Amino acid sequence: MGRDGVGYGLVEHGMSGVAIPRYEMGTEVEKEFSADPVMTLQDVAFGWRGRAAVWAVSGRFERGSMTAIAGPNGAGKSTLIKGMVGLLRPLAGSLQTGSGERRRVAWLPQAADLDRSFPITVLDMVATGAWDRVGAWRRFRREETQRVWHVLEAVGLADQAGRMVGALSGGQMQRALFARLMLQDAQVLLLDEPFAAVDSHTSDALMQLLCGWHQEGRTVVAVLHDLSMVREYFAQTLLLAGRQIAWGPTAEALKAGNLAMARGALQESL
Amino acid sequence: MTLLDWTIAPFNDYAFMRRALAGTSAAALGAAPLGVFLVLRRMSLMGDAMSHAILPGVAAGFLLSGLSLWAMLLGGLLTGLLVALLAGVVARLTPLREDASFAAFYLISLGLGVLLVSVRGSSVDLLHVLFGTVLGLDDTALLLVTSVASVTLLVMAALYRLLVAECLDADFLRACGGRGSWAHMTFLVLVVVNLVAGFQVLGTLMVVGMMMLPAAAARFWQPTVAGQIALSALLGVGASIAGLLISYHYNLPASPAIILTAGVAYLFSVTCGPQGGLMHGLRPRTFSLKEE
Amino acid sequence: MHNDFAAHVRRRVLMMLTIGVASVCAPIVAHGDEPLRVVATFSILGDMVREIGGDDVMVTTLVGPDGDAHTYEPTPAAARQLKAADVLVKNGLDFETWLPRLAKATDFSGSTVVATAGIVPRKMSESASAERHHADAAQSHTADQKQIKGSAEAGAHDEDHDHGDHGHDHDGSGAHTHEGHHHHGDQDPHAWQSLQNGAIYARNIAAGLATADPAHAAAYRQRAHAYIVRIEALDAQIRKTFADIPAERRRVVSSHDAFGYFGNAYGVRFIPVAGLSTDAEPSAADMARIIEQVKREHVPAVFVENISSPALIQQIARETGARVGGTLYSDALAPSGQPAATYLGMFEWNARQLFEALQPQ
Repeated sequence: MGRDGVGYGLVEHGMSGVAIPRYEMGTEVEKEFSADPVMTLQDVAFGWRGRAAVWAVSGRFERGSMTAIAGPNGAGKSTLIKGMVGLLRPLAGSLQTGSGERRRVAWLPQAADLDRSFPITVLDMVATGAWDRVGAWRRFRREETQRVWHVLEAVGLADQAGRMVGALSGGQMQRALFARLMLQDAQVLLLDEPFAAVDSHTSDALMQLLCGWHQEGRTVVAVLHDLSMVREYFAQTLLLAGRQIAWGPTAEALKAGNLAMARGALQESL
Repeated sequence: MTLLDWTIAPFNDYAFMRRALAGTSAAALGAAPLGVFLVLRRMSLMGDAMSHAILPGVAAGFLLSGLSLWAMLLGGLLTGLLVALLAGVVARLTPLREDASFAAFYLISLGLGVLLVSVRGSSVDLLHVLFGTVLGLDDTALLLVTSVASVTLLVMAALYRLLVAECLDADFLRACGGRGSWAHMTFLVLVVVNLVAGFQVLGTLMVVGMMMLPAAAARFWQPTVAGQIALSALLGVGASIAGLLISYHYNLPASPAIILTAGVAYLFSVTCGPQGGLMHGLRPRTFSLKEE
Repeated sequence: MHNDFAAHVRRRVLMMLTIGVASVCAPIVAHGDEPLRVVATFSILGDMVREIGGDDVMVTTLVGPDGDAHTYEPTPAAARQLKAADVLVKNGLDFETWLPRLAKATDFSGSTVVATAGIVPRKMSESASAERHHADAAQSHTADQKQIKGSAEAGAHDEDHDHGDHGHDHDGSGAHTHEGHHHHGDQDPHAWQSLQNGAIYARNIAAGLATADPAHAAAYRQRAHAYIVRIEALDAQIRKTFADIPAERRRVVSSHDAFGYFGNAYGVRFIPVAGLSTDAEPSAADMARIIEQVKREHVPAVFVENISSPALIQQIARETGARVGGTLYSDALAPSGQPAATYLGMFEWNARQLFEALQPQ
């Protein structure tokens, strides 16, 4: 990181009318919180075919915050992320995003969701991150292509660019997904189990990337299993077990009592 | 007889050979991108089911207006699309998955088609709908199949990125605001249209072979989607040429000869193709110790 | 006592008289006004029976107008009609290959009239029998669904035929299976295509009806006689018409080898298109051969038939410059209301179509 030369122009106006200055990848700028949160959830529930997988979630994601979503298996964390991305309609309650937020949300899905056997190169797969700018029909201009190479270098996959997606290892696949996320260049980053089945060397490197983006003022929300990582890097935590158990500063949210409640709650709901 | 005589002379001497080649090549070109995406999306059997779904519509068109091409086309289009739609709806709203619901609908439509054919008595013309009259393509038929192929290629070129993105990661595309489902629906419509337009050339039973076999074979040679489409088109045209020549020199019926040639190409690809072919799986692998 | 005995005897006599009269009258009452129930196998025979039988018969035809007797599949309705019939009129010469099975299945107990009795049959030509093979090799997918399995008869015919110079494979599996087949042995069953034979048909039908229904025998014979007069008049007219066409022009290509007798009788050479008959999938070699032949022999006209596909015939016409003639009726009449809806009408129609197509341009 820390390259100069290729900058991503980003100008945005928050609801309060304050112009947020340009953020360039690789430069550190002071964060400025605007008054409105990135996303507000009110007693929201998400699920499939009428059955709620996660419910009773209320709270706000502040702009520029770094929140972890934790909880036991089957707690509905992925479902909540998908709801926040906009793939699911709330079964109950409401979810509000700040103005213009809808298109500035980038999502890193679980690696399993992608069709690894599809015959596409790493370069092209990462390039789909530019969908927002390029869409289904616009040509890839030179600067866009350069951006793709830039993000590939940032995650260390520049030499793998010509290989098929199916030939990548687990760790490489995660890095490719990060590259795609980076290309999307969004203000709000939602990551679903970004370090699953990844070795510690890679997860450290990727975590550094994530922190870097957070320092640029982007809002980060990540579903994580590794509580030690949560405690180390994430200021806020939302603890789920079907329903919301706790949402607040990490130390608070992850106290023993809450964790026990989370384990118990999930068994109840089954 | 020289090789040149063997391959070129029949096409040179007879107009029906040239027309047959034009018709089958057009069908192959239109079918290539569709077939590749059907294979990639694991919808190959669905393609086969759709070709059966067309039958009652064509039969109904025939019942109502005789051998009117437009009536049969319209009928086939309607029932093909209807089955595609219904199967999708059933899969979405009930526990039955798409493969079972498709199977159910295509069996129903096959039974219905046979019933409708029987009502009209034994109808040889309808049998030609099933097997095609590739050696007797008139100007209308040629025009139809070539325009359908042209339109298909244009539309697929336009939808290419959408379809690739949708196959690769449908949810991601949706999250980015891409219209994946519209692309999918358009794609299905194109499949039905090509199957219906192709029935004159190869018959409804075998036109799906022209869609699937070259695409399935191409998969073993080309690692990228674009490469597979190009190779699939080439294989389709090649099978047409070879099939027609075989029919000419060895006195075998034309449309089965074409499809079986494509089938042989497929079998060869499965065994010898570099991208996952059986032979390549048997070769001892060299292990790389390089860190990821 | 005397009175009682007399009364008893009177009653008995009365009873016996009643029974006696009833038993004599009953048959007359039963058969007297009811028409004879006749089943004809296909439309041409049906028309003839109607002409000869008049109001005294009620005719049902199994393979109706525009129907294909070669690929006909008997339905349950047909079985019912046959069972209820008094007389069955069939062509013979192995034309109705599905008939033996049907008759056995329905346990038909009436009398059978073979229309071709006494006719000298024509041998099928070599290319024609090969055509039968071709026609056999590709059967309908839809017929699969409801077909009756081929009988031992079919198997025997398969073995008898030699394959000639056609390298055909008989694909017995998958979508193509042998059903009620096209094999006619070596004899051409389309005997009705000669009017002379038509007269023999009429005589046989009349005789058969008369035997089954002696009460109206005279009426049958009379109508048959009138009919035969018309047949012979038409025959003479057609002979004269065709004699006026120069011999080298009396050649046509037709998609079905059903006109052998017509050709022999009136001096027209019908070149059958091997492999282009009902149900068959032709090979490019077949098409090429026909085109060559048409070009080489300067065949003036190519004919479509009412039970086969026009697309291939039209392609041949396009490529050779031959005229595409109108529809020729070979194995079935046209639906009622059209000129070719009767046997004589069909003949007139065919003759006129041929005549017009063969006219020097």
